[in-house]
Amino acid sequence: MRKEATKFGFLLPGLLYLMAMAVFPLIWSLTLSFHRWKAATAAPRVFVGIENFLNIFSRDPRFWNSLRFTVLYVAIVVSVELSLGLLLAYILNERIRFRNFFRVLFLLPMAAPPIAVAFMWRMLLNPDAGIVVKILNSMGLNMVRWLTDARLTPFVLMAVDIWEWTPFMFLGLLAAMQSFPVSLYDAAQVDGASRLQIFWFVTFPLLLPIMVTLVLLRAIDAFKLFELVFGITGGGPGTSTESLSYYTYTVGFQYFDLGYACALSWVFLVIVLIMANFLLKRLRKEV
Amino acid sequence: MRKLLWCVVLVVLLVVASALAAEKTWESQPGEFKGQTITVLITDPHSAVVESWKPEWEALTGAKVEMVVVPYASLYDKMMTDFITGTGAYDLICWPSTWAGDVMGGGWVLPLEDLMEEYGYPDWDDVVPAIKLIVSWGGKVYALPYDGDCHMLYYRKDALENPDYRAKFKEKYGYEYNIPPKSWEEIMDISEFFTGWDWDNDGETEYGIAFIAQRKTQAMWSYLDIAMQYAAQPGVAPFFDPDTMEPQVNNPGWVEAMDVIQKLTKFAPPGLLSYGYSELRQAFVSGNSAIALDWGDIGILEQSPEKYGSKVKGLLGYGPLPGSMKTYDFKAKRWIEGYNQVNFLNFGGWVFSISKFSKNPVPAYKFATYFTAPERSLLDVCGIHGYTGANPWRFSHFKNIDKWVEGGWGKDSVTKYLETIQTILSDPKAITDLRIPGAAEYYDYLDLYLAEVLSGTKAPKDACDAIYAEWVKITETHGKEKQKALYRESLGLPAE
Repeated sequence: MRKEATKFGFLLPGLLYLMAMAVFPLIWSLTLSFHRWKAATAAPRVFVGIENFLNIFSRDPRFWNSLRFTVLYVAIVVSVELSLGLLLAYILNERIRFRNFFRVLFLLPMAAPPIAVAFMWRMLLNPDAGIVVKILNSMGLNMVRWLTDARLTPFVLMAVDIWEWTPFMFLGLLAAMQSFPVSLYDAAQVDGASRLQIFWFVTFPLLLPIMVTLVLLRAIDAFKLFELVFGITGGGPGTSTESLSYYTYTVGFQYFDLGYACALSWVFLVIVLIMANFLLKRLRKEV
Repeated sequence: MRKLLWCVVLVVLLVVASALAAEKTWESQPGEFKGQTITVLITDPHSAVVESWKPEWEALTGAKVEMVVVPYASLYDKMMTDFITGTGAYDLICWPSTWAGDVMGGGWVLPLEDLMEEYGYPDWDDVVPAIKLIVSWGGKVYALPYDGDCHMLYYRKDALENPDYRAKFKEKYGYEYNIPPKSWEEIMDISEFFTGWDWDNDGETEYGIAFIAQRKTQAMWSYLDIAMQYAAQPGVAPFFDPDTMEPQVNNPGWVEAMDVIQKLTKFAPPGLLSYGYSELRQAFVSGNSAIALDWGDIGILEQSPEKYGSKVKGLLGYGPLPGSMKTYDFKAKRWIEGYNQVNFLNFGGWVFSISKFSKNPVPAYKFATYFTAPERSLLDVCGIHGYTGANPWRFSHFKNIDKWVEGGWGKDSVTKYLETIQTILSDPKAITDLRIPGAAEYYDYLDLYLAEVLSGTKAPKDACDAIYAEWVKITETHGKEKQKALYRESLGLPAE
């Protein structure tokens, strides 16, 4: 009995911490999502049942717009980052000159804080003073409105993300490639397999589980897209680059409509859970 | 003997009373706040004001001033989060008075009557009436004035006053434009005329007009400059019908203004949609456009070629907002033909308030009164302290021309500049900005759909309809009757 109490005593601080920092905020935000609460005007909380959720799905085109943009964003950036990461990892896994230099160089963008990356690119793409714009102008691309054309700006944002996060894929895939047993490659060579066949029938199947894991981690992270939007476009032009998390932030911390923002957060959480579950099932299948 | 004793007591009492009275002054005293720290929440460039006075005030009082400088886009959430959580991290907050409905109406800041009565205030009669209005809510003063805000028109005299250009314009458009331009119809033609060629012979292509157009950087006030002319009449605010609280933002006047601003983007520099207030000011004083709309700040930047890269010192003319040749009467639901010009107090001006959670309200009050006193605040608005974001708001600021000249201005320039601002601020029919609870949210939706119009992804009418739908929702969320009462009160209309 006493032994049990001691165990419980050791567990208690951790449990209390978990309750306070994770469980309580979750329950509190779920409760708030059933309320209308315009906190900025010190208005009282009013219970509205599932009205916030109904509004999200039936009366809020901005939610659908931000969801559409976020899904498209995640699909494009994760695919491109995976492809480029794989290519770079394959090249730098070979014995080429300055291999270590390039390995370090390609990791640099990932080391920078995302908000710093955002402001750096905002300055680089400034239409009046940005160095990238000046270079592109000198190449005759002076009519391209990189940050102010609603059709183009989402892709500029994606390009920055790809620049920043391809190293993540590269790092994970390179580490995996270096852990593969050399005997497999030797055997394939003895069997007369070409480089392409070795890649396709040996390397790729071995990489698949780690690729699914990397895609899962990166997709969840990309889904939470915030800093690049905040720092580069502010969601604009119009709402063309407004991600779901940026929209939730706007509702919560610009309009202080805390009930609606909590409802949006829960919808967001459910979407991420569904996506993660799908990828995890896929991972289990591969493993 | 008894009489003598009473006399002594009386004298002692008088001495003590006068000594106490002498301590109770708005002017800070040596060592009076030794060891205390006040925290100021502020944005750039207004932080320049606090930075200017902080060392002097700290040395005088022994207090310490800590500044938390945030970008404009984050100010509202930083401030409100502090209020809602009751943290009290900031004692003194510099905020735009257009948020009065939330900040004052929400009861988040201290009413200042008690402090003003106890310590006095540096020359209240010197404050322009329009500015006194914006620091008040429900008849009580909740903020200390610090900035007089209204948009005005800036134009390049070397372009618009050039006789050759005027002749060519007349040949092309069949009329002579006014200087300063009087209407948006004229502005459209002038902007088109001066777009795409090197009219100041500096080897670079120039454009017609520049204004704030970037999302979340106050672009909606550029649009409101136009909407006020097509959708309002002097003294008649156009935001809602005060009898029904029906938003007016999609009536033909507002739609026409949206159409005008969309067309103007064709005559603006290529980077227009990335122009926040800082970018606009920098671009305009570097000489890339013939016309710009802004608060008084471009005038300050104009004077400093060394510090702000101004290439237009002495080349700028100033004028009130252009009017329109027709305006929509939302009550009669019809257009009124004829010239209409409305002065609009965009933004209302930045003000300083003391958080109701402040643990140091007295030092905060005395620090704010210290730098907003007539002689000191003059240095912040006239350019001597550089670009601070503060524009003239006291009668004395408009009189003391010598200080402005000391701040880098030419005498003629500053006379015209001050004349323009004073005319707008003292116009009894000038329309005050939207000040009801949720103003930040109403304006964010205006800003959002305006951005879509400016980028060409939404038609003006569709955008105005979308804003209307959002404004209806926001009004419902806050309570229609409550909003109506507050809106009427903000317009000085009697309660129903």
